[in-house]
Order: sequence, then C-alpha cells, then structure tokens
Amino acid sequence: MQQTTPTTPAPQAAKPKPAPPPMPPAEFQEGAIEKMDAAALTGILKDPKSTEFQKAKACQRIGELGAKEAVPALAALLGNEHLSVYARYGLEPIADASADEALRAALTKLKGVQLIGVVNSIGKRRDAKAGPALVKMLYGTDVDQARAAAAALGSIGGAASAKELQAALGKTTGMTRMAVADACLVCSERFLADGKRDQGMALYTALTAPDVPKPVRLAAMQGIIREETSIGRPR
Amino acid sequence: MTTRREILKSAVAPMIVPSIVLGQRAGAVAPSDKIVFGGIGIGSRGQHDLSKILNISDAKFVAICDVRNSRREEIKSMVDKKYGDSGCAMYDDQYALLARQDIDAVLIATGDRWHTPLSIIAAQHGKDVYCEKPCSMSIEESWALAAAFKRYGRLYQAGCQRRNGANFALCKELLKSGALGKLQALYANVGPSVNWPPLPSRDWLAAEELPPKQVLDWDRWLGPAPWRPYHSSYVRGGWRNFYDFHGGGILEWGSHTVDLCHWAAEYDDTQPVEYEPVGTNVGPYQVNCRYSNGVKLVMRDNGWDGALKTGSCSFRIEGDLGWVETGDATKIECSDNIKPLLRPTESASLALENHMKELVRCIKTRQQPSASAAAAANSHVTCHAAFIAYQRGKTLTWDTTRHEFTNDAIANNMRSRALREPWRI
Repeated sequence: MQQTTPTTPAPQAAKPKPAPPPMPPAEFQEGAIEKMDAAALTGILKDPKSTEFQKAKACQRIGELGAKEAVPALAALLGNEHLSVYARYGLEPIADASADEALRAALTKLKGVQLIGVVNSIGKRRDAKAGPALVKMLYGTDVDQARAAAAALGSIGGAASAKELQAALGKTTGMTRMAVADACLVCSERFLADGKRDQGMALYTALTAPDVPKPVRLAAMQGIIREETSIGRPR
Repeated sequence: MTTRREILKSAVAPMIVPSIVLGQRAGAVAPSDKIVFGGIGIGSRGQHDLSKILNISDAKFVAICDVRNSRREEIKSMVDKKYGDSGCAMYDDQYALLARQDIDAVLIATGDRWHTPLSIIAAQHGKDVYCEKPCSMSIEESWALAAAFKRYGRLYQAGCQRRNGANFALCKELLKSGALGKLQALYANVGPSVNWPPLPSRDWLAAEELPPKQVLDWDRWLGPAPWRPYHSSYVRGGWRNFYDFHGGGILEWGSHTVDLCHWAAEYDDTQPVEYEPVGTNVGPYQVNCRYSNGVKLVMRDNGWDGALKTGSCSFRIEGDLGWVETGDATKIECSDNIKPLLRPTESASLALENHMKELVRCIKTRQQPSASAAAAANSHVTCHAAFIAYQRGKTLTWDTTRHEFTNDAIANNMRSRALREPWRI
C-alpha cells in the first residue's frame, strides 16, 4: 500500500508574503563579482579605486576558489580594521605554502586584534613553522595574544607544541594559564588521533594535577577513562 | 549526662517541622537540587525557551547577558516577575556570566553566528548548554562543536525540540517496530522558500548611524561574523537571509527537519554521501541526498500531499510497506495500512517543555540528551553539505570518514568560514 512521493518539486502553495526587507544599495550588491575568475578578483584587490565592499566580496570568492596567485594582495589587507577578516577568509583555504608564509610574516607587523586574527588563522592551518613565534607570544604581556598563541599551538599539536605548552602550564597564570591548559587538552587528542597513545596519555596525566583549572582537570580525567575503556586500546 | 536520644526528644524533634510551615510548597525542590541557568542573547525565540525553564520546578534562571540594553532589562523583568524577587543579574560580557560558579548551564539563543563559538566557550568554563538551532555556521564549526563537548564532558542539547514531541516519536516508533518495512526514504521540509531562499544574499544594507555602545554593542553583536556597516534591520531580526549571518532555507529549516530524519532513522552518527541540488533560488527547490546504504534523504521546500495537513517542520518516512508523516500540527498522515496503528498523541506544542525537562534531567544524571552535540553535528553537516551543493549547482559526493567532498575542490574550500578577530573555535 505504499504511496510513492513525486521525485520532482511540485508547485508551491500560495502563501502570504512578509513585508519586504530593505533593499541593498547598488554599491553594496555583489553582482558580477560572484562569477569573476581569480585574476579578476585579484585585480579588484589591487585596484586603488575598489571600494571596501568590493574588496570584501572579492576576498571571500578568492577563498572559495583557493587562488594562490591572490596571496600577496590578500596579505596586504591583513592589517585593515574592516577587511582583515575578509583577507583571512581568502587565505585560510588556500592550499599553498605561500599562504602560511604570508600569515607568518604578518606576525611581526601587526598589533591588536588583527594580530590575534592572524594567529587564529595560523592555528587553523596548523603551520608548525610558526611555533617559535607563537611560543614567544605565550609569555608576552598581552593576555589576549598569549591566549590566542596557546590555542594555535594546541591546534598545531605535535611533540614540540606539547613540550612548550606543558612548560607554559608551570610558568603562566590566570586566563593565559587556562588557555594553555585548554590547548594541552587539544594536543592530547591530537596525539591519540595520530596513534601516539603514550604521549597523549602522559599529557592527560599532567593535566590531572590539583592546581590545573577544574574544567580542564575533569576533562583530562574523563579523557583518560575514555581511552582506558575504549575497545580498541592496546592491552 | 544527656543522651543523644534525649536530645532528639527534647530539642531537635520539635524543630523538625513540615516544610509547608516554612512557606515551602509540598513537593518543592530544595535550592541545592535545582539546576541553575544563565542565558546569553535571548530574543523572541529565546524568551519562548526561557518561559519553559521558568516553569520547571527543579530549574532556576539567575542571569542574562546580552549586547542590547533593552533586551537585558526585558529578560530581567520577565524572570524577576516570575520569581517575585529582583535576583536576575544582568551582564554585557559573556565571560562575566560564565565565570559564575553557581551557574550549571546556559541557554544560548543568539543569532546563528554566535552559536558554536559561545557554546564552546561555555563548555570550556564547565557549563552545560541548551543552544538554539541552527547550531553552526559551517561544516568545520559543526565538528568543532561535537569535539569540544566530548573533550570537556559537558552536556549539549540542541534546540531540536521535536525529538521530544509525541507525534514525531510515534512516527519513529512505527519505523523501528518494522510496521513501515525496510526504510527507503526520508523527507525533510525545508521551506517555504518565500521566506528564506536556499541562496542567501551576499550584499550589505546601507550604512546607518551607529547607536551608542551602551544601547547596542555592534562589535559584540557582529561577534565572529565578518565586519559590515551597521543597519538597524539586522538587529531587529533581519540578519537572516544574509550569507554572513545565515545558511539560507536549507540550513534554517534543515536544522529542524533533517535533524528529525536522522533521529527517526537512528542516523545520528552519519551523513549522506551524495547531494543533488534541484530547482532555483525562488522555489520550489530540493536537494536529493543518498546515504551509503542506499536510503534517500530528500530536502524540499514543499511538494507532498500531506505537507499542508501536517503543518510546518514536517517530515516523512517511507518504508517498503508504508509511509508516515507529521509536523507541528500534531496530525499524522500515513498509508492506509498504518492507520490502525495510530493513536492519539499529545500536542506537538508540548515538545519544547519536554525537551527542556530532558536536559535538566540529564544534567542531574549526566546522561547524554537526545539532541547531543554529536547528533547536531551530523545533522548540521548534512545541511551544510546540501547548502554547498546548492551553491555549487552540481551533485557533490562526500566522504563520511575523511569529512571532505570527493569531486569538487571549491566545495571543500567552503567547508569553513574565517571568524572575525579575536574570535575562534
């Protein structure tokens, strides 16, 4: 008695339309940018006559295309108050070392939240070459930057990051230390995911010390239990 | 020498009085047994959620954080009126609220852009979370959400309340019992497109004069979303249908109904492997998906007979022996052979209260709620993948192990969005 459902869309029933929303002005409409190729989009970024809106949209479309030829033009916007996020929108997906190099180079040039944004993008791309610069930031006076650096090191993972983060756990305080502890948890997970069980468990164990922030201490204990009781663990 | 028994007889025993003498209702919950909630970003939908929390005897709401002064005061007024005191604290910084050790869980009902980052920050502070849907802005955020809640061992209940709706549960039961036969297809209503089409706008509205920060903190309102000039329409709810804030009709409605399909079929740990977009941006439209076992998932903005009868957020299950469909109207439509198996169910409108109570119960027992972060991640990844297929205008294939598209590099670049500094997940 099965009734089959039509496989193509049926006409929609008439429904009352809500009040129309405000219309975007012509200068804030993406228009032709949507269909541009990488060269044309890069041209928008380089053209001094391009507006902030045009550059923003070009950055987003470049990121979707993953166009490595746009890296220098994107990098030039990393310090821009409004466009920095768009520049990273473009850079983050580009599967080429030039994007890592551009972000790393920005570490020594930027300040404030734009610098934090770049650190976040470095963490997302897991650029291990940025490790030494991030470690330096861990011990800087700007807590927000130190926290971002810790998170990036956790995301990058690996033995070098883990060693630095574990050391920082004993040398940092307050909000920075909380971020370091969080990053250590992520590092532990990465070790386990990579099959490096001993290193992952050692880091979890270090995080169960009484002076470690409570949410992380509990998470580490749960991580140990989860690992010890998992079906696939070595016996 | 006075014995213990004598003390009990003489002094303490008279002090043991019924709680009703102390002004407590019979069966009242001791304050120490109450789950203490705070809220972040509570607008109209959030107030609906909050009204359910306020009705739960073993829950207490104590603090609101919002970037808008008017919203903070509105929520405080609502809470204080309910409790008959002035105890609801107001914050404009989520970190101040999350630092409170007395708060067990937070209700997050901000715009979509904040959902994942705030949920993760809350988990890092040791809080359990009830978060409105859509729960994420990208595939990357969906996985990060699930990973964070697993990492910190915190509980997450996505606002997919229909998982606790009796009419929806009966449909699931009919599938699980075998009455529908072998599962063939799932249908998720993702419309109507007249409100939110599948492809949201990438444009900006004209700049308006920015209000004073104490009235509206625009920087905090934007949060992790890319910068754009202020316009009052966004703040009044008009942020939907703008790509930087919203995933269009597929994510908006799919987070309601694809979630139901996954729950009913017990597909909370997987995603379809194929996504075929059909239609235009003005509707009707649909995305035909297929799981690795051959079962179909069809997201469509309209198009089956029962949709108008079963109400909004309807979903449909087709087996080789019969079909069943329901939605927010509570009514269940089905094939003739299933009709004898139907029974009256409570109203679908009770689902939200049940859903909130489930979270409170789970916080006490530390069991996973039905709409966990992992379940939400899988249903949201499905919606995001369908949304990306619709944007790409081509059929995409998906590797459920590597979490990547196998036939389109650009689609893979669209799995994540950069977050505005300083925010990260």
